[in-house]
Amino acid sequence: MRKDRAGYLFLLPWFIGMLFTIVPFFASLYLAFTDYNLLNAPVWIGFENFADMFRDPVLLKSLQVTFVYTFVSVPLSLAAALGVAMLLNRGIRGLPWYRAVFYLPSLLGASVAVVLLWRYVFGFDGIVNAFLGWFGIEAISWTSDPDYALTTLIILHIWTFGSPMVIFLAGLRQIPVMYYEAAAVDGASKWRRFRSITLPLLSPIIFFNLIQSLIASFQTFTQGFVMNNGGGGPANSTLFYNLYLYQQGFNQFNMGYASAMAWTLLVIIAVFTAITFFTAKYWVNYDS
Amino acid sequence: MPPTPCPREGTASVTSERPPGSGSELNRRNLMKLSGLGLAAVPGLAACGRGFGGGGDDESGDGVTLNMVWWGDATRAEKTQAALDIFMEANPDITIEVEYQDSGPYQDKLATRFAANDAPDLMAMRMDSLREYADRGALLDLSGYGDDIDLSGLSENAANLAEVDGAVFGVPAGLNAVGFVIRKDFAEQYGVAVPDGDTWSWDDLAAFAQAVSDASGKEVYGTGFDVQTLQNLVVWVRQQGEDLFTEDGRLGVSAATMEAWFDLVGGMRETGAYPPAGFFEEIGGSADQSYIAQGKLASQIIPTNNFLGYNEACSGNLALLRIPGETQAVRRGQSVDCPHLWSVAATSKHPKEAVRLLDFLTNDPEASLATGTTRGVPASAAVAEEIKDSLEPDDLTATEYLMGLQAEDLPRSYTYPPGGSAIADFLDVIAVEVEFGRQTPADGAAQFIADATAAIEG
Repeated sequence: MRKDRAGYLFLLPWFIGMLFTIVPFFASLYLAFTDYNLLNAPVWIGFENFADMFRDPVLLKSLQVTFVYTFVSVPLSLAAALGVAMLLNRGIRGLPWYRAVFYLPSLLGASVAVVLLWRYVFGFDGIVNAFLGWFGIEAISWTSDPDYALTTLIILHIWTFGSPMVIFLAGLRQIPVMYYEAAAVDGASKWRRFRSITLPLLSPIIFFNLIQSLIASFQTFTQGFVMNNGGGGPANSTLFYNLYLYQQGFNQFNMGYASAMAWTLLVIIAVFTAITFFTAKYWVNYDS
Repeated sequence: MPPTPCPREGTASVTSERPPGSGSELNRRNLMKLSGLGLAAVPGLAACGRGFGGGGDDESGDGVTLNMVWWGDATRAEKTQAALDIFMEANPDITIEVEYQDSGPYQDKLATRFAANDAPDLMAMRMDSLREYADRGALLDLSGYGDDIDLSGLSENAANLAEVDGAVFGVPAGLNAVGFVIRKDFAEQYGVAVPDGDTWSWDDLAAFAQAVSDASGKEVYGTGFDVQTLQNLVVWVRQQGEDLFTEDGRLGVSAATMEAWFDLVGGMRETGAYPPAGFFEEIGGSADQSYIAQGKLASQIIPTNNFLGYNEACSGNLALLRIPGETQAVRRGQSVDCPHLWSVAATSKHPKEAVRLLDFLTNDPEASLATGTTRGVPASAAVAEEIKDSLEPDDLTATEYLMGLQAEDLPRSYTYPPGGSAIADFLDVIAVEVEFGRQTPADGAAQFIADATAAIEG
């Protein structure tokens, strides 16, 4: 009993923090079924907010932006993370240093400063256009052209592959070297070794990283907010779902609608996570 | 979409005072503030601490604490504080706690504070938000406080801005208008005459801009004002004999007028008088970072109360002109606006004191001497006249520009109806679609009318 008490004591901060989460959590569930403008008391309207969502072209646009962003940038950033992790796993000298350097962008990626920096890098007179200029490619308005603005943010996301990379690296180090040695003796090519040893043995880690990245990516906010001064522009091309939710709640005084959007996002994320879990049995290998 | 909504900063510093709902300007200073948001909460916490400590000063009866919030920068903060100090000295029983921040986060925070039943006593209110708050009973009707505030001295324009259906939910913190600024040094360098600012037409603007762009080999574009800034659009719409918002709170602009607005800029863009699509990248919003100060544009539209800042950033080379077309159009397009109103919360525990402070800011020349014209020309005509002599030359130029407009017979303009703040967002999106040719001006105009009508009619 005394022992338990120490345990609960250590859990206490979590319980206290949980209070701050659980109250708004259920409050927003209630608000999702109300017309609430922040100034007057909420009025119960049933499922009207949810019905309105289907008729809101801007919401559909924000869903599209979020889906494109997620389904393009998550696989690419995981591939980049795995690639760099494998490079770093070759027993090079100064590994901790390289690991830190490659991890750094993901510490900064969602920060305001880096998104801003990104805007300068991709600015009309920025280094990307200067680089493309050497190959005779005309300057592109990366940040102000609605056809390119999201691409710029996807590239930013791919660049911030640090946290999955560190996890991949840890996973790679768990794979016994003897498998590779045995395969090499049998004459397996590098590609064959990667496909038949690395990928299967790493699949639980890939699975974990995939889920983590999917969830984080669906909730993207900062990049779109900073990119266009909170606007999601140009022409809503970087209007992430969460950014639109924020606009509805805090700029347009539609807090009920924003709450409904939040719960819908929860369902969307749950569905995609469930799909990933469902497919896991076909490709995730746990027998080791 | 600070947002909401939001026009592009390059030309759009115009929007720094913008009523319409858009984002804040993005620059280093604002970012510091953004990161300082957490810190901003600390005084609030401290206040709670006092409360728990057994009775705030309110109950003790020997003093009143007013909470006053507004947006702006450090310069404005300094000037505002100077005025408040004068008030507090004269009213030792009143303490004023001030909070200020950038316009984007300000808007969000204000809404949250109302939601949390923690509304400030006196607050800066955006024109496009006024009815969002007032129609929901959140603001005090000042017309019932005739003993504490004298509104008779307001100029006619100022009084009109403040009034909604006979009630007064705010007093203009100052008056401004939009004006066209031209770099005189570029005009001279490229051998182009600066047009007569009182009588020039839109054709004159196009000719001037074309000449500058041609002579400079597009090193400097002749003009680059913001298509999606409502204040700019409003002048154009009024010149066509229409109102963006009508007296009964509807959308008054026609599709043809919108299309002509897009065509006006589209035509100049095609010939090179106006920069190509994608040129404005919204980096930086201050006068220093503006395209005209960087020497990439020879002219643009600004709010007149920012003239001092812009002219300093351009080394004193700016001329302040009226918006083109005023003498050729069906009717006058320019109007007298305000950067923001001062409003009092309906739930304020000290409405009388808050209203008295508002009276001081509005009617006491001492207050305006301290604040200068950072929020525009004083709303009281007598006060404006009184402080004129103490203004810096650039502020005087802007003030005389505005007083000139005030003296003329301008058609009345009507404030944003509820839902009107979303319109800036729609225009921002459509203007970009048209800019990049993803939508024809005609389609963009039709869509704007449809979106805006839907937003206003709920």
